[in-house]
Amino acid sequence: MTKFTLQNGKTIVKPFNKIWLILGIVTALVVIFSFFIKFEPRLINLSELGVIIKKMFTPKAGRTWGDYFGFINNLWEPLISTIEMSLAGTVIGSLMAVPVAILAAKNIFKSQWVYVPVRFFMNLIRTIPAMLLAVLAVYFVGIGVLSGVIAITLFTFGIMSKMLYEVIETVDMSPYEALESTGASKVQAFRYAVFPQVFPVFLSYLIYIFEINVRASAILGYVGAGGIGMIIKDNILYNYDRVGATLILMLVVILAVQFFSNYVRGKLQ
Amino acid sequence: MIKFVDVVKTYPNGTQALRGINLSIRDGEFVAIIGLSGAGKSTLLRSINKMHSITSGQLFIDDVEISSIKGKDLRMLRRSIGMIFQSFNLVKRMSVFNNVMTGRVAYHPTLKTLFGLFPREDKLLALESLDTMGILDKAFQRADQLSGGQQQRVALARALTQKPKVILADEPVASLDPITTVQVMDDFARINREYGITIVANMHHVDLAVKYATRIIGIKNGEVVYDGPSSQVKDDVLVQIYGRSLKHDELLGE
Repeated sequence: MTKFTLQNGKTIVKPFNKIWLILGIVTALVVIFSFFIKFEPRLINLSELGVIIKKMFTPKAGRTWGDYFGFINNLWEPLISTIEMSLAGTVIGSLMAVPVAILAAKNIFKSQWVYVPVRFFMNLIRTIPAMLLAVLAVYFVGIGVLSGVIAITLFTFGIMSKMLYEVIETVDMSPYEALESTGASKVQAFRYAVFPQVFPVFLSYLIYIFEINVRASAILGYVGAGGIGMIIKDNILYNYDRVGATLILMLVVILAVQFFSNYVRGKLQ
Repeated sequence: MIKFVDVVKTYPNGTQALRGINLSIRDGEFVAIIGLSGAGKSTLLRSINKMHSITSGQLFIDDVEISSIKGKDLRMLRRSIGMIFQSFNLVKRMSVFNNVMTGRVAYHPTLKTLFGLFPREDKLLALESLDTMGILDKAFQRADQLSGGQQQRVALARALTQKPKVILADEPVASLDPITTVQVMDDFARINREYGITIVANMHHVDLAVKYATRIIGIKNGEVVYDGPSSQVKDDVLVQIYGRSLKHDELLGE
């Protein structure tokens, strides 16, 4: 607390800002817990890292550079299924998020009996890591692309519902009032006053989440969710060169998706 | 005709915004409501289209008592009353044309309007309204690219597209500069004269209210303290409404 005294003798007290207390506690906790972390320097083996990188980006003994890049020919099918499952999961998950985000937005459903349980459900889904979702999906529907789609759908739903309801809450509600004054029903007022403000942002998020999902789904194959991750898993110990070729292809694809995503989202502003 | 009979409005926090209002406004009048901030001007205006509902008393629009209507009847009532706001209340990132089209939404069933398709007559009506307001050439620009005065004209075009009998205006020029203010007030006067639409406007600027409206209603603490022709608004009337006479520099100009 700071007290100011003006020249004419008037005084005013600036209240204590709680943020400093919170930051102090967080810093203290970080310092305390850092004492319990045991670093094991013997795990860091830089020379071994160099060996693996060399193995990844040169052909294996007995293979040529032709074989190295020729392996990419085996990757088109898993690559396409990776992109397909990201796309399907992104679209389905995003659409599922729309009604839930509307229910979670305080400015649309003012009753806390609506938005509190809906938000709890949303948070619950979001706490489950994508990898665990994939493991569960594989458990229920078996190894393959379908389990990848399910995992990505749920993962997308978690992010999209949260981001979307926050967008809906920051929307300018004054046109909604104007629409109601013209005699429009609540649904109509939402369609013509809120939707036009939210839709471009929704599309922009959808493309951004797709970009995240292409990256994530490459990993999901690792637990059996189909796609290119399975190739990496199958080769990682014995065929580092194939892993390297796969990584190069993924890099190119992800850069392309990122470029597309930035371009389209720039247009949507 | 709009008729208030002993209208009382008490907000849930206990504030008495209207304390027994009796008024009647004939078709085609241009009425300005003046008074201090918090006197109840906005509540009075918004009770007419039931954006605020009244606590007791009766409110008639064309002999229909509206304090108990709801649902479809309420929406039909609102459809026949245009409303203009201080901050225009347009969807900023939507085109001027699409903003004006929203004046037709209430004429169609909800399901039909979800897809954003309107009959050609509606589109022509919207364009005619824009032409009336002199901004037809702005139709396909984004609303936020227009100046404040132009945006208020878009809002007026939206109201006209409703084909209203009454236009309510809640501080329509409070966020405009003096020159644009005069232009927008001229628009209100023209709409009133040419289409015979009743105008009820809340105003802060007494001199503008007197210049444009034919009738002034002065509100103080939720009660009508003056109701008469604008030509008779003299210093003693302003003392009644504002508690003291206005100084020269508190007027807008003239």
